[in-house]
Amino acid sequence: MTMEVDILELSDRSAKFVLSNTTTAFANGIRRAALADVPTLAITEINIYNNTSVLYDEQLGLRLALIPLTSNMEDFIPKEECNCGDFCPACQVSLTLSAEGPGMVYSQDLVSSDDKVQPADPNIPIADLREGQKIVLEAIAQMGYGNKHSRWQAGVACGYKNMPIVEFSGCDQCGKCVTECPVNIIKIGTNSAEISTEDMLKCTLCRLCVGICEIDAIDVKVDEHSFIFTVESDGSYSTKELILNAGSVIKDKATSLSEILSTL
Amino acid sequence: MIPVRCFSCGKVIASSWDEYKRRTKDGEEPAQVMDDLGITRYCCRRMLLSHVELIDTLAPYQ
Ligand SMILES: [Zn+2]
Ligand SMILES: [Zn+2]
Repeated sequence: MTMEVDILELSDRSAKFVLSNTTTAFANGIRRAALADVPTLAITEINIYNNTSVLYDEQLGLRLALIPLTSNMEDFIPKEECNCGDFCPACQVSLTLSAEGPGMVYSQDLVSSDDKVQPADPNIPIADLREGQKIVLEAIAQMGYGNKHSRWQAGVACGYKNMPIVEFSGCDQCGKCVTECPVNIIKIGTNSAEISTEDMLKCTLCRLCVGICEIDAIDVKVDEHSFIFTVESDGSYSTKELILNAGSVIKDKATSLSEILSTL
Repeated sequence: MIPVRCFSCGKVIASSWDEYKRRTKDGEEPAQVMDDLGITRYCCRRMLLSHVELIDTLAPYQ
């Protein structure tokens, strides 16, 4: 059986799609790869020249690190995979920040040495400076994987659920399940209660309808080979690129496994 | 300062803070503002809803 993808929603930052004719192992592989194995760029080191703000240097460092950075991801490789020995334009990029109060310092105030490397959101508050307070620093961004630190986590809230299957048999149209359903998807049809195909995706598999039905007319099951995926990106990739990258990460891992096996 | 990302899911929520603060101050319902800003999960919603800005208390000190 060939795998099928049915896209329900696709935007820059979020996507929802149905992945069918596959296994839980593969679906979970995609989910985990999107969260932990797709490399992104994030600030890893800062050199502070002046910080008289109310935030400690470490707090400032954490705030800067969590800002998602967009770039042409093919241009960079993680530092540990780079064979330059020290540092080079392929494994790190420098951004500078200099600000003086009063006023809020935003992520857009970061000045990048590479035009393509920019904060994904321009309006993330970094620090609130008062009269006379100053921040002058240089930040070094490097590529990394989400399994090391959340700063490199490209996928946000990636998850899936099995496709729900709700069947009615011998329904007496009492309507109790209609009021019991917390997502209001059960409707009374001509000779039985029913759920439209579109509304079926909203079912949370809570089984409250099964509990309330006095004549056991409702059966709630799941399709073990069909998954409703939700994927969100932090802005460093578009969701489309994120899913494609997650797929290629799995492919690369399988290729290297087969290479190792073939040498045995 | 508002945390940059949601503790649980990792979504960047700090970018919505300015608008959230301004609109709730003007009397809008926090729930409505968060719906408009696309903050749908309860993990992210509690980040904005329960945040207390302490920077004014700390501002006189360095
Ligand atoms: Zn290098
Ligand atoms: Zn969240």
